[in-house]
Amino acid sequence: MLRLFRIRRDMLGSAVSRRLSTTRSPLPPTPLPHRREVHLWYIKPEEINDSSSQLKHYMDLLSPSEKRDVSSLSGERLQKNAILARTLTRTTLSRYCDGRVDPGSIKFRKGLYGKPEIMWQDGDNIIKPPLQFNLSHTSSLIACAVALETPIGIDVEEKKRQTVKSVLAVARRYFTVSEVEYLAAIPYPDIQRKEFIQLWTLKEAYVKAIGRGFSGAPFKNFTIVMGSDKRAPKMHIEADSDCEGLADNCQFALMELNSSHVVAVCMERDQEISDDEKNSLRLKVWRTIPLIEDELVSGTETVNYICGLS
Amino acid sequence: MASVSATFVSFGCSFNQTKCITAGKNCTISLGMRNHTLTAVRFPRLRVSCLAKPETVTKVMEIVKKQLALNDDVPLKPESKFSELGADSLDTVEIVMNMEEEFGITVEEDNSQNITTVQEAAELIDKLVAAKPEQPASESEQKSEATA
Repeated sequence: MLRLFRIRRDMLGSAVSRRLSTTRSPLPPTPLPHRREVHLWYIKPEEINDSSSQLKHYMDLLSPSEKRDVSSLSGERLQKNAILARTLTRTTLSRYCDGRVDPGSIKFRKGLYGKPEIMWQDGDNIIKPPLQFNLSHTSSLIACAVALETPIGIDVEEKKRQTVKSVLAVARRYFTVSEVEYLAAIPYPDIQRKEFIQLWTLKEAYVKAIGRGFSGAPFKNFTIVMGSDKRAPKMHIEADSDCEGLADNCQFALMELNSSHVVAVCMERDQEISDDEKNSLRLKVWRTIPLIEDELVSGTETVNYICGLS
Repeated sequence: MASVSATFVSFGCSFNQTKCITAGKNCTISLGMRNHTLTAVRFPRLRVSCLAKPETVTKVMEIVKKQLALNDDVPLKPESKFSELGADSLDTVEIVMNMEEEFGITVEEDNSQNITTVQEAAELIDKLVAAKPEQPASESEQKSEATA
């Protein structure tokens, strides 16, 4: 377990202004993920001071259109989280470029259904690793997942997230019959809510992995069946699905972060590996304050694997 | 004389003859005024967008405010995007469910990408409500109004 450099929290404020006022610290390069490995980087917005110069420096990394999008948001909290989300994406991706790509220079485009993708520019001396990434945020946690070559989807929710309507009402409206039956059979409301949140994040992760999003792949078209005993959830497409072109070869993983958040990850399976065990996902997780502090937390109690991970 | 740009509101009132209509290159048209009533004529080649009823917009804003627990100081406008107000995917589906209940409609998922703002949600609601078969007794004051 490699623990990268840390600065004590109480020194953070002055340290930030000293360091960032001279040159921007290069991000320590990170080796590319292995096959079937997911790298997850996350920020806790509460760890970054609202009115710090740090946020302004992060803002400098954003493209003009990203800056406009941030300014159009209502309220400081939303603006801060939007800045952090863009910063996390840009800094995370640049880590895998051997120190040669400035986070602010990365360009993005949208896929057919609007999924953000990297658009590598032609240029000398630029390596262009085939990175796949996906972002998810709640107000209290922002996460960016990275994989090599294989499309990936991630969704994060607060574990104790309340819904205004009952979870069964939402499930009946949006989930499949078998998923509703599964939830309805759970006698304890707390556990039922927990299972609902897990199913929700898994389904979101799937539609994001295949690049379609919620409106491009309505949830009623596919069922996710929770595995037992730490085995990965499985997915099948509903017989009466009217949605064409849904991938049915995806691998899922579920974990808890900080005992406060549920994280679901979805990645297409490797067709060449028939063994389920070997198709299991491996995971590395870092908590980060970009350009300031990185902490590898996988293997610690911060990350609690629920299922689908080797 | 009032000038409006290409996307304009067509009022439900009957069309009167206007004194002077011109359609410029940039599709600006002038409306004639008669007895202080603004009348409008639609040109086929102009794209007409029907704005939602104010009461629908108000109702959607109420639903959104409640779902996202917005304070009074958060500026909520018809153009407000749900995502900009901090709604995540679960918030959005609950907002849609509330709208479905409130107005007695069903919003298909592939429509959900078209309702990113309060305004768009209200427009879709009005469209779906108008397309509903006649209900025997309705609480709301829906008149049989031809849709745009």
